[in-house]
Amino acid sequence: MKSIFIAVPLVIASTFVQAEDTCGKVTIADMNWSSASLIANIDQFILEKGYGCDAELVPGDTMPTGTSMIEKGEPDIAPEMWSNSMRVALDKGVAEKRLRYAGNSLLDGGEEGFWVPQYMVDKDPSLATIEGVIKNVSLFKHPEDPDKSAFYGCPAGWNCQISSGNLYRALGLSDKGFELIDPGSGAGLSGSIAKAYTRQEPWFGYYWAPTSVLGKYKMVKIDFGSGIDKDEFVSCTSKEDCLEPKVTMYPPSAVQTVTTERFATKAPAAYDYLTKRSFKNAEMNKLLAWMEDNQADGDVAMEYFLTQHPDRWKPWVSKEIAEKVSKALKNL
Amino acid sequence: MAESSWLTKFPQMDRADLTGIRKTLDSAYRDFSREYGETIESFFDPLLTFLVWFEKLLITTPWWIVIIVVTAIVYMACRSWKLCLGVVISFLAIGYFGMWENTMRTMSIITVCTLLAIVLGIPIGIIMASSNRAQSIITPMLDVMQTMPAFVYLIPVVMLLGIGKIPGVIAVIIYAIPPVIRLTNLGIRLVDKEVLEAATAYGANSTQRLFGVQLPLAMPTIMAGINQTIMMALSMVVIASMIGVKGLGQPVLKSITNQYFTLGLFNGLAIVALAIIFDRVSQAYAKRSQRHMGGMDNA
Repeated sequence: MKSIFIAVPLVIASTFVQAEDTCGKVTIADMNWSSASLIANIDQFILEKGYGCDAELVPGDTMPTGTSMIEKGEPDIAPEMWSNSMRVALDKGVAEKRLRYAGNSLLDGGEEGFWVPQYMVDKDPSLATIEGVIKNVSLFKHPEDPDKSAFYGCPAGWNCQISSGNLYRALGLSDKGFELIDPGSGAGLSGSIAKAYTRQEPWFGYYWAPTSVLGKYKMVKIDFGSGIDKDEFVSCTSKEDCLEPKVTMYPPSAVQTVTTERFATKAPAAYDYLTKRSFKNAEMNKLLAWMEDNQADGDVAMEYFLTQHPDRWKPWVSKEIAEKVSKALKNL
Repeated sequence: MAESSWLTKFPQMDRADLTGIRKTLDSAYRDFSREYGETIESFFDPLLTFLVWFEKLLITTPWWIVIIVVTAIVYMACRSWKLCLGVVISFLAIGYFGMWENTMRTMSIITVCTLLAIVLGIPIGIIMASSNRAQSIITPMLDVMQTMPAFVYLIPVVMLLGIGKIPGVIAVIIYAIPPVIRLTNLGIRLVDKEVLEAATAYGANSTQRLFGVQLPLAMPTIMAGINQTIMMALSMVVIASMIGVKGLGQPVLKSITNQYFTLGLFNGLAIVALAIIFDRVSQAYAKRSQRHMGGMDNA
């Protein structure tokens, strides 16, 4: 009997403690690429240790996670959403008060473009421009057809397949002898870069940054000499039915932290942290290079970042929270 | 605390050591591909030339010639008008729905893969059947080939040979060759001991026994193996397209990422149609050749 009398107030007390930070159970999408996984792990650690959330990582990918967040309200947080790839659906979700854009995970935005390896530009600086690449078309041998040259496009079904295909047309690469190769998957595309790089062979194609691939293999973004025409890009280049695409560089694409409305209203303090948490591209590239060098997963890299760069993350949270997180870090 | 922790927690390898091993192996592979990549690539060059040539042949040949030739092959193999009619109708439907070129691409790569799998697989099966030690070595390898997720070996192969047909063919063959090896082995081992004794009594040497008795008697089982190999090769079409093999797999991939269900279904059905044609033809051919063999036995 006695134990019940002790236990009851304890239970009540603990519910009160729970009630104070109402964060509760939070699911975070752990996307299947390095930078997103790192941010997801950082969020999990800080939300759990600092804000007392019961944070859980769930596997994710841009399209499935975005769709599920809009339709089902799950997971609660997508820490690195390349929102251009499903802009319309996400905007609709925000308008219907299902989602919120918390902030930019990558301050400078994602960088897309056509790239050639650094060692080629070192040999011939003209290759950093599209004219130079077209002039040296015979360098970029097609793997299956000796008469043609290879341009590695974006994998089938990805959003960038449309924009890279349209730019391929706009630049007239087909007439110059380049054939658009569909690498089939992200792994196929990065595999082709890795192959070219280990043998110092020419490579020319679409890729994006910050990624561990571009962190590891130094590449140069090709200048189209056109500058960025954002309106043209939005109205035509990124549209499947674009009839006469014009040449424009890729505008920086927004890389945002997206949360569900439910989470934002339920845990305003934790939401406030998410609005502040962001990385510069140069910083992220360094972190990705560290991950690559150490073959680190998101959780290992999270530990590295939180312990080695306290000056970076402490401004994202209040003093008390920062102390709680630091204490938890010491206990690791 | 520290002493008892291994009771509650698995005594795991130190993280630094594990990372060390992973890094060493990875960089060793990178060095290997830098060193020997070009040599290995040029080794596969004849095959690549043949693949490209065969694909171009199928695509540039006018569609009606392709249909006539395929139907003629089908008729020669199984002498069934119904099946031929089915082939013509399914090819016409494939062409009408705009999948002709991709179907030709897939057909060319699957044909080459199947032929290679048979040419490599049957001798391996014969070796396995002739020696128990060979069998005990090869069987676990076949288990690995059938269960290892394709991407585990695909991306290293891509790093070695680039994206495209050759890594695709390698992936398809690794996945599809085990049935023909296993069933060749099984078929030969199931041949009646007494029949073999009789052959020996008639003075047949081991080569004569193999080609005159064992292989013909094992033929139904071997054909079942070939049939399974064809089916598995076709099911790998989508995986192969993930490393840049053109064909019916690419639209399937595109449709699943974009949720275009109808496009996916059409291309999936085209793969099924090819599979059924290959299947029926090989089975009918096997049956007919068995009947033929029965005649030979009496002679």
